[in-house]
Amino acid sequence: MHHLEVDGLTATYDGKILVLDGVSIQVGKGEIVSVIGPSGSGKSTLLRVIMGLLKPKAGHVKLDGDEVDYGNKKSVKALRDRFSIVFQQFNLFQNMDALRNVTIAPVKIRKRDAQKVEKEAIELLGKVGLGDKLHSYPDELSGGQQQRVAIARALALRPEILLLDEVTSALDPELVNEVLDAIRILAKDGMTMMIVSHEMGFVREISTEVIMMDEGKVIEVGSAEQIFDNPQTSRCQDFVGKILRH
Amino acid sequence: MNYTFQWGEAFIEVPYLLGGAWITLHLSFIGFWSGATIGLFGALGKTYGGPVTVKLINWYVIFFTNTPGLVTAFFIFFGLPEFGILLSPYHTILLNIALNSGAYMTEIMRGGFVSVHKTELEAAETMGFTLLQQLRYVIVPHIAKVLFAPLSNWYIWMILGTAMAAIFGVEELTGRVFNRAAETFRSIELYTIAAGMYVAITILASSILVVIGRWAFRVKVKVF
Ligand SMILES: Nc1ncnc2c1ncn2[C@@H]1O[C@H](COP(=O)(O)OP(=O)(O)OP(=O)(O)O)[C@@H](O)[C@H]1O
Ligand SMILES: [Mg+2]
Repeated sequence: MHHLEVDGLTATYDGKILVLDGVSIQVGKGEIVSVIGPSGSGKSTLLRVIMGLLKPKAGHVKLDGDEVDYGNKKSVKALRDRFSIVFQQFNLFQNMDALRNVTIAPVKIRKRDAQKVEKEAIELLGKVGLGDKLHSYPDELSGGQQQRVAIARALALRPEILLLDEVTSALDPELVNEVLDAIRILAKDGMTMMIVSHEMGFVREISTEVIMMDEGKVIEVGSAEQIFDNPQTSRCQDFVGKILRH
Repeated sequence: MNYTFQWGEAFIEVPYLLGGAWITLHLSFIGFWSGATIGLFGALGKTYGGPVTVKLINWYVIFFTNTPGLVTAFFIFFGLPEFGILLSPYHTILLNIALNSGAYMTEIMRGGFVSVHKTELEAAETMGFTLLQQLRYVIVPHIAKVLFAPLSNWYIWMILGTAMAAIFGVEELTGRVFNRAAETFRSIELYTIAAGMYVAITILASSILVVIGRWAFRVKVKVF
């Protein structure tokens, strides 16, 4: 039994074009699964469907063997209690400072003890290198700093699985590493993650498994070495070839 | 210049004029909040309403934002009695101010609704916020912040706009100057004093708004 099991997931925005077309993925506890693929291949959509932002048309998602019912609010809520997602565009709450961005959901939504949450939030922000920015607002932070707040915010919810959707692609090159470093620390702590990324060097270094997607389908699954050095499908060879030549 | 200033005669009227200034404040304050209420519903209707609602609101907005306030005031002043509705000049003007600023505030507030970032709400949703919690913690604070500066400016503009009430015999600041100027012929002195009072009122109101804006909404409004 896998920690997270996605099976035959199919989704569409307009009812016609299948943006996801029978995607199956397994993630074990403590694993880091990266999803790569060309723009428009459905990587973000996959994460959105898993999080319940877009209802799947067919297929299912299982958590520790229990199937998620996306038509049922309680079931979706239970799922969201166990997952956190960080988006490409940080999506911080603009009207709250860094600390409150991190504490609001645990305190107001999960009803945890405010003082304990705050202590934990300060630690988390310290861990991502923002111990001195607790009271800065998003518009006073750089993109990299905002993204690190977003990661701290996601972690404050104590997720069992963290989904990261191109968390560095909206950043200036010199800010990318500070965010990747924050993720490296999580990896060392054994966090289970599903990562969508265009940072191939990073993907290669950190992933337990790499999944290559195209046109809504999983094209190839394998270790980082297989996908990058010895891809089995021609589509994957093309894609990896193009990227590595850049 | 052949005019001999006679300030003494004008200064006697200061308490009387201050009373008028008080009515000016009243009129603008009540007018503002009535307009804000209309604007809130107008903006909600335009953002979330059906096509008929949107069309009706558009007609209302277009009418009031494209006619001089003075004209709509006359329109209400002479129009309503034809329908058997008799209002005092004060209430006629108040109604006009409310409708007029309601139309402007519909547009201003709609901008606030539109500017709520969908992605922020999505993030909130995945963190387990219900719709009501999103409204309370994300949407309302955002709109309040975005709208604070334009609504503050609008309020200041409204204070000055209430001078129009004088034409209809309302005894606010300008109306009282009308009255006394006709009796004493000290027009320039009286208008100078009134101008000073308007400046004082708007500076005071702006300063209060700036302080509220900084403390409550982190908005850096500049006045001067
Ligand atoms: N909200 C939406 N409404 C309609 N179509 C959408 C929407 N979002 C994405 N799509 C379409 O779905 C397809 C997959 O998009 P998705 O964002 O999942 O791709 P992606 O792999 O994340 O690409 P990228 O690398 O550019 O982020 C694309 O063809 C896109 O145009
Ligand atoms: Mg994407």
